[in-house]
Amino acid sequence: MEQQQDPVIVRHRELERIANMALRAGRIMMESGASVSVVHAGVGMIARGFGVEDVGMRSGYASLEITVHAGGNTITRMMQVGRLGVNHRLDQAVRRLAVRVSQGGMSVDEVDAEIGRLVRETPRHPAWVVAVAVGIACASFGRLLGIDWPAFAAVLVAGTVGQYVRHQLLHHGVNIFIVAGLIAFLAATLGGIGSILLKSGTVSLAMMASILLLVPGVPSTNAQTDIMDGYPTMGSARAVWVLMIMVFASVGVWFAEALLGLRSL
Amino acid sequence: MLELLPHLLHQALFGALAAAGFGVLFNFGFRALPWCAAAGALALAVRTVGQDLAWSLEGASFAAAIVTSCSVSLLRRQLGPACNAVALAGCIPMVPGAFFGQALLGFLSVTAPNLVDAEATLIVAVQSLLRVIFTLGAIGAGLLIPAQLLKNQDF
Repeated sequence: MEQQQDPVIVRHRELERIANMALRAGRIMMESGASVSVVHAGVGMIARGFGVEDVGMRSGYASLEITVHAGGNTITRMMQVGRLGVNHRLDQAVRRLAVRVSQGGMSVDEVDAEIGRLVRETPRHPAWVVAVAVGIACASFGRLLGIDWPAFAAVLVAGTVGQYVRHQLLHHGVNIFIVAGLIAFLAATLGGIGSILLKSGTVSLAMMASILLLVPGVPSTNAQTDIMDGYPTMGSARAVWVLMIMVFASVGVWFAEALLGLRSL
Repeated sequence: MLELLPHLLHQALFGALAAAGFGVLFNFGFRALPWCAAAGALALAVRTVGQDLAWSLEGASFAAAIVTSCSVSLLRRQLGPACNAVALAGCIPMVPGAFFGQALLGFLSVTAPNLVDAEATLIVAVQSLLRVIFTLGAIGAGLLIPAQLLKNQDF
């Protein structure tokens, strides 16, 4: 009982709640595709909105750490970060929340509840809409690369099916690199077979265009942004992740080309 | 110049479709998707003009990213802090994913048994990989420099 009323312990508990809540917001921003500097700025805004005087942060690829100091008390906390993806609307919603918190007037419980609400209620496009949109994007990429119209139709179907299956596999927790290899094989095979059936003259190019849904464009630009912003460790980790995804995707295409007799194993 | 117009329109159209398609994947809202498409069309139009002027892919991509980032920055009032994300979505169709794949497939080919003309295969793979690195660097720098100089807000 005495320990609970100790002002130092009480203040530490308050700081801990602020730190954990700020880390939670940072984790969502990072998992939604924000760069490290944005995550640090957002977390700092939230913590300072609750009267924290100094904020120190460290970002790893799979974790975030924060040290907060207020009224002579200091604590450090760490939080795991999940798979890094891209969710623009959720990212922007959390950024807007960070601005509101920095202006003061919200309690830790209110902010926690608001973060939970944003995660639950921020809309997402249905999986089939995303699949069709990605199919169109892959086919458009293909046209930019020079595929002909018969191959355009094949790539559209291959990209759509590939994205839908990728969504299902990731939803079931399959390792993202294995998913990249499997989807590259599936999409390239479908794109190749479709192009051959439709008598396309650009079969190899169509197979490559079919896997462009796997190219991690945002992580690769974030890698550079992080390095230029002064976070080379995180930037390098992102670059290695991008390279690994592309290695697995290329192996998938390799097997697809071998299956269709375009390459020997 | 007029004979290049159909090609320019073709590239801009499919750049717009690719950017909007990836915008859906990135969960942009329906109100932001037309801006993604416009940014994609602009980026591909500028890159195409650059390449038609015999610029390298890297140089044309850098110019396209700069123009896209500057143009989107002018729309800060309408787009708010999302303007940087819209510029990035617009430049996604310029990410040289196909070259990346070709480079890695080339490296895999070099290790194949009974390879004919290994040197040529290796050089093509290295060229593709260097092209990927320089083009990604050009796009990233082209997006970041105007955003930093024009002090685009992240929040």
